[in-house]
This record gives sequence, structure tokens and C-alpha cells, in this order.
Amino acid sequence: MRLIAAFVLALAVATAAPAARADSHLDASTKFISDLANEAIETLTDKSNTSEERRDKFRKLFRDGFAVNGIARFVAGRYWRKAPDAERTEYLALFEDVIVNTWADRFSQYSGQKFEVKSAVDATPAKSKENVALIESLFFTIPTSPVRIEWRVASKGDLFKIVDVKLEGISMATTQRDEFNSVVSKSGRDLASLIDELRRRRDS
Amino acid sequence: MLNSVSNFRFLRFAMALTLMGALSACATPPSGDADARAAYDEANDPFEPANRMVFAANVMVDQLVLQPTAVTYRDIFPDNLKPPVENFITNLFMPLSFLHALLQGDMDRAEKAAARFFTALPTLLLANTFPDEPPVFEDAGQTLATWGFEEGPYIMLPLLGPSSVRDTLGTVTDFFIDPVGIVADNEVTIGRAVGNAVVTRSRNIDQVRDLQRTSLDYYAAVRSLHRQQRAATISNGADKPVQSAPTIGLDLDGPSEDEGKKETAATK
Repeated sequence: MRLIAAFVLALAVATAAPAARADSHLDASTKFISDLANEAIETLTDKSNTSEERRDKFRKLFRDGFAVNGIARFVAGRYWRKAPDAERTEYLALFEDVIVNTWADRFSQYSGQKFEVKSAVDATPAKSKENVALIESLFFTIPTSPVRIEWRVASKGDLFKIVDVKLEGISMATTQRDEFNSVVSKSGRDLASLIDELRRRRDS
Repeated sequence: MLNSVSNFRFLRFAMALTLMGALSACATPPSGDADARAAYDEANDPFEPANRMVFAANVMVDQLVLQPTAVTYRDIFPDNLKPPVENFITNLFMPLSFLHALLQGDMDRAEKAAARFFTALPTLLLANTFPDEPPVFEDAGQTLATWGFEEGPYIMLPLLGPSSVRDTLGTVTDFFIDPVGIVADNEVTIGRAVGNAVVTRSRNIDQVRDLQRTSLDYYAAVRSLHRQQRAATISNGADKPVQSAPTIGLDLDGPSEDEGKKETAATK
């Protein structure tokens, strides 16, 4: 009898364990996103900020919260592979600058937002060493019609990074990659031509 | 009579000329470079040069007519009159949505579209009888997609905007099978389309301006946004997140020196 009880217990633990592990990364990812979003709302919508200050704060949040280099490499697409190291380094820096400028300025238009997480779904691909969570959230820029934002969070141990953001079902990474691809295929068909374009954008 | 025949001939001639112009403006697929070829296939836009011309004209019309109208509607039109106007336009789309939900075998959405239409009838279609539910929008392009038709190359339609071969076929089909168009005059469906364009545009004035300002290639950004939005509309938000998501992971983060070396070694 005791043996059966032990067996049942062992079985329960064995089946429950993976579920508990999956849940813990979802909970942690959810907390990661709401902390980051609240910090962003708090620090970026402060109207007393100068444009420069806001960009600095956004850059810090962006570096902390996002897999910046991973995203940069993804949106560079197939041209990353052939590029020499010097170009890669320059591209990564320019990519970050352009994203920071664009999005920090966007935040300046918002004020008094509310943010709420709706759900968290496990989307870890098979045979992946890291966990992936999809965090569905609502961002209320105006009280009546919120924007639906889906965060794709990759995690491993204590390390959490956002790898993509979908606004109303539209992936920012995919959009950026398609646009970059078009720019590159029209000009030099290498990373250098994209670098020129990004530098022009940053300095404009 | 004679006059109309010669008019018709002229029209045909003009159409043939436009078509020839469009075809000769086809992008020539890059040869030799495998990467360039892959990028060309991925863009799926063989009519790109012609599309870009039409897009430039559309943007001009937008800036001159649609955007000012949308801004006027947003800022000057009385706020308390907006809901009835917008409900009326939405409700007028419901018969078409109902028809297409049926054709897609989606009884749930068919019922929602019908309920929204019929419960609003007593108010002359001015009410939103399901304020907590988003309205159901279905069209022939979506029906063709659920039947397995590929979207085909990207097409920029004059005035109507971004589309694809499949969706263009859908737009033409809807012009003939829309119950509202059959019961009422085509003026009603045209009015609905214009009204819908103004209302939709009035909701994204700032976003469009922002995109125009920040994008490196506005045409390519719109093409990508349109395709993704269309895919989301077709799946009715039930896409499989794992498969549709880009493959970015923590492995890619950081300027991983080893991997860089591995890649250069592999290409040598």
C-alpha cells in the first residue's frame, strides 16, 4: 500500500514538475514586462525631460530589456553574414541610435498611460535551450480604445530579453527587416549601403 | 451610337497602353547573386516599379484630399455625431461579412454579423448593438484565402491602395456579390467605401505621419505592414504564434565572437 502511494506521489511529481517549470518562466516573464512597461511610462512620459534626457533614459531601458544585437542581426537579414567585422560593429551602433531616437520621440507624445497584462502563453520552440513566452497586454493611450501589444520574451535562468514586439498583430522586427531588405536590394546589396542610409537617418 | 463605339475603342486603346506600360515597368529579377534573388523572391513584388508609381500618386491624393478630410472629420466634426456615423458604416458592411463568414464555414462569425445588422435595423443602422464586441469584417479576399488561394504578387491599386492578386480578385467579386450593392444602388456601396476610408484614416493620422517621417523606405514599410495586417485579418487573430514568429533568441544576443569566426570560416 505504501509502495503504491509512493509510486502515485512520484508520478504526480514527475508530471507536475515540467508544468511548474513552464509556469515559473511565464510568471517571471510577465513580471519582467510589467516592470519594464511601468518604468517606461514613469520615466519617459515625464514632460520635464529634454529630448536628450528622454533618449538617454530610453537607451538604458532598451539595452536592459531588449535583445538589441539579436534583433539588429535579424533585421539585417542575409546581408549580416557577409559583412566584415568593422561594418557589423558600426551597423549595431547605428541601429541602436536610430531605434532609440525614433521611439524615445514617440513616447514624448504620450501621457498618463495605463498598462495591463492580459495573458501569458508558452511559445518555447521544440529543442530550444531557452524559454519563450508571449505576453499579451493592453496599452491605454486613450481610455476607450487600447492598443494590443504582444511581447515575445526569451529567457534563460535570470536573464530575460524581449526579442520582438507585435502591435495589433504587426511584428516590429519583421516590418523593420522587410524595410531594410528593400533599402539594401535597391542600393549596394550589402550592409555598407544600409549603414549609409542609417547614418543619414540618424544625422537628419 | 457611332460616338459611343469610338469612345469604347479609345478606352480599349488607352487600357492596352496602360497595361503595356505596367508590364514593361516590371522589375527584372536579379540574376547571378543568390542573396539578391532570395530578397527579390521574398518581397514577392514583381510589379514593384509600376506599384511604386501608383503608390506615389496615391500618396499625393492622400495628402491633397483624404488626409485633410480625415483631419477635418477628426477635429471639427461633432464628437457626439461620430458614433452613429461610424456605426452606420460598420453595420452596412455586415451583410457582406455574413455572406463571407458563411462561405468560409464560420457559423459563429456569420451569426455575429447577422445579429449586429438585424438588431441595428430598428435604429436605421445607427446604433452599435454589441458595444463590447469587435464587429466582424469578412471579404472575398479572406474567403479565397481560407479556400487555399495564395495571395500572389503585391499590387498597388490606384486610389484603393495596397492589395494582392488574390485580394484584387476579391475586391472585384465583392463589387458584384455584396448584398447591400444588390438591394440598394452602387452609390451606397461607393459612399460606404468613401466614408470608411475617411473614418479609418482619421484614426491613424499621427501614426501615418510618424511612419512617413521615420521610415527609410516608406513604400516597403507599407507593403510589410499591409501583408502582416492582412494575414492577421484572415486568421481572425488565431495565428499560431510559434510558427509565425521571427527566430530571434538569446543565442543571437551579444557580439558572439565565436560564431562570427565560425561563419567566416564557413564562407571561406
